Amino acid sequence: MNTQEILNRFETVARDPAGQKDKYLAAGKKVVLMAPVYCPEEIVHAMGLVPMGAWGGDMELRDAKQYFPAFICSIVQSIVELGMRGAYEGASAIVIPSLCDSLKVLGQNWKYAVPSIPFIPMTWPQNRKPDYALDFTLAGLRRVIRDLEAATGATFDESKLAASIRVYNEHNAAMRDLVPALAAHPEITAAQRSAVFKSAWFMLKEEHTALVRELLSGLAAASPAAAKCPVTVTGILADAPGLTALLDEYGFQIVADDVAAESRQYRTDTPEDGEPLTRLARKFQAMDCCSVLYDPDKKRVEHIVALAKNSGSRAVIMAQTKFCDPEEFDYPLIRRACEDAGLPLIQIEVDRQMVNYEQARTMLETLREAL
Amino acid sequence: MAEEIKKHRPPPDPNSAKYKLGQIAAKAYSDAQAAKDRGEPVGWCASNFPVEIPETLGLAVVYPENQAAGIAARGGGARLCEEAEGDGYSNDICAYARISLAYAKLKSAPEQDVPMPDFVLCCNNICNCMIKWYENLARELNIPMIMIDIPFNPDYEVSDEQLAYVRAQFWDAIHQLEKLTGKKWSDEKYKEVMEYSGRTSRAWLAATATARYTPSPFNGFDLLNHMAVMVTARGKKEAAEAMETLLKEYEDNHEKGVSTFRAEEKYRIMFEGIACWPWLRVTSTGLKSRGINMVTTIYADAFGFIYKDFDDMCRAYCKVPNAINLEFSRDKRVKLCKDNHVEGLLVHTNRSCKLWSGFMYEMSRQIGEACDIPVASFDGDQADPRNFSEAQYDTRVQGLMEIMEANKEVG
Repeated sequence: MNTQEILNRFETVARDPAGQKDKYLAAGKKVVLMAPVYCPEEIVHAMGLVPMGAWGGDMELRDAKQYFPAFICSIVQSIVELGMRGAYEGASAIVIPSLCDSLKVLGQNWKYAVPSIPFIPMTWPQNRKPDYALDFTLAGLRRVIRDLEAATGATFDESKLAASIRVYNEHNAAMRDLVPALAAHPEITAAQRSAVFKSAWFMLKEEHTALVRELLSGLAAASPAAAKCPVTVTGILADAPGLTALLDEYGFQIVADDVAAESRQYRTDTPEDGEPLTRLARKFQAMDCCSVLYDPDKKRVEHIVALAKNSGSRAVIMAQTKFCDPEEFDYPLIRRACEDAGLPLIQIEVDRQMVNYEQARTMLETLREAL
Repeated sequence: MAEEIKKHRPPPDPNSAKYKLGQIAAKAYSDAQAAKDRGEPVGWCASNFPVEIPETLGLAVVYPENQAAGIAARGGGARLCEEAEGDGYSNDICAYARISLAYAKLKSAPEQDVPMPDFVLCCNNICNCMIKWYENLARELNIPMIMIDIPFNPDYEVSDEQLAYVRAQFWDAIHQLEKLTGKKWSDEKYKEVMEYSGRTSRAWLAATATARYTPSPFNGFDLLNHMAVMVTARGKKEAAEAMETLLKEYEDNHEKGVSTFRAEEKYRIMFEGIACWPWLRVTSTGLKSRGINMVTTIYADAFGFIYKDFDDMCRAYCKVPNAINLEFSRDKRVKLCKDNHVEGLLVHTNRSCKLWSGFMYEMSRQIGEACDIPVASFDGDQADPRNFSEAQYDTRVQGLMEIMEANKEVG
């Protein structure tokens, strides 16, 4: 495939997760949904199941309102909305971690709103660094294994987990290589970049890695277009078509991201030494710089500034998911750090129900003019 | 212009529970200020952090949630929320957090001052919002943060693994505080604290359980005030004595056929959620004027911290409201409703509290069904006065009352 065909393939997958699910189901595979923000996907993969991301969708909320007050984030609400409307039918289970308060209530409501798809809780420790957190992390992982075995009939074999960890580490590496490669090619639009990341949630990782590597080869041989205005994007999600279209319209190019559904997933590899399940727990202990992970030193704030500086970004755009308080608490500190570093920052509120992007347009237009 | 009429209230009886409990709550602030003035380190402490730890170590702490509630009740909520919003904090964030973060910057509020902290003690058993709030306090004030993570438990029982994780963190917190403050843990002192905590808790549970009498010997809004002592001081001798006084008063009220609910008790409800502190009088009057007594809340159950040893204490902190799953939360409330002959449930959909409100729709449906009682909800906020509509509250309470009335006629 040429570069455009590969990009088209990513876009097709990103636009049609239900089609991907049906394809895997038709091939005799079982699908397990992975809710935001971090799930032990490697375990699901090792059991021969297909992990698929469930980060909701851009839609008007209707049925989910029976379960949630309006001030719960629309990612969580739209996951339930899709579940109630049958979009996830055929999935064998959903794994929901309790990393923020809205995710905690998602799990509880899911049991009653979508009883046909079993809820599997993943309880990660927030105080994850001390040695004593390891046993608790392992207990959480083992509980997921037990529940997956009950929900799917599949069995867990630790030697297979070692192979899946390799698949995931290789995918992480490919996604990390992708960021500078895309940055070197301003002709890749924000929408195309988003599709590469988004499609990762709906494909087996080995399939996605192969496609990403093919894209990287294609890009290496291609001549870059004229430079655009490089920016770093941070937030939980930045995949709304209305937002990516505006970034393209105003000539912004995302050269680095701290987006939870994108690069935050791929920063940390599972370590090489030790028993596979223990290594997976160690990976979580090593994770940092994320709004839903306890961060007493607020490393994330410095991380964003460094990311922007090192990538040559001229500004930082915070895609603020409405009602996401982990991100909202970080914003004042990020704003100050960016100011101190001489980096312009804008905060654009995004929402799964958003149809009007005029405020975002004005902010991006103003930023573009200022730069 | 109407002439102002001043009510001549009798001076408070120093032997009354109300007076004693008020003194304990006030003393918590003055003791902390005195410690600060002596040059001792003072902490800001999350409301469901194990109070036994600072109490045993002899550390003075104040509770930002109580401070924020006090500021909000005295009319300062909007001012401090707006101050935080000016610094970039979204108005979607918990109003207690906004008030506290604003106070950390201003270091003064006429409604309720507290000494500035030398460390913060965080526990997320009530919500993960606490983590973010305390991270920012620690960062802005450049002080250490001691964190105990008590994860939301998706299961009914506390697992051995969760207990081990929480126990390890309790000891880690103790050792960090010893190092930080030079104070030493004493098993003997802990045993004493545990005993007082048990006495206080038993008296609280027994006092709140007098709502089983009809009419109830107390107005449930009393509990909203008294719970401050349960949260912050239950390991103190004075708290045990004051709660025992409260129990005696409620039993005496029952014997005499009187109540602190100063109206005819026509209906009995459970109130769900944190109080609307800026609108306390309005929310209270809206009930009392209709003869509705809020006879119970989850607080009645929540602060019964009775445990036999350190492990049992860890388990108790894993079972606070907001750390437990829907089914366990529901069953506790169903028991309170049934034990106290509740006829209706009034739910505060609290804009500040995503976790408390986030599965309340489903849970309150289940409680209503299990107890065969009507459920009404209203929108409000624990501390931001802008998120409450008096007209909506009035309409919802009226609707609830009418269904309770109809049920009485049928029954």
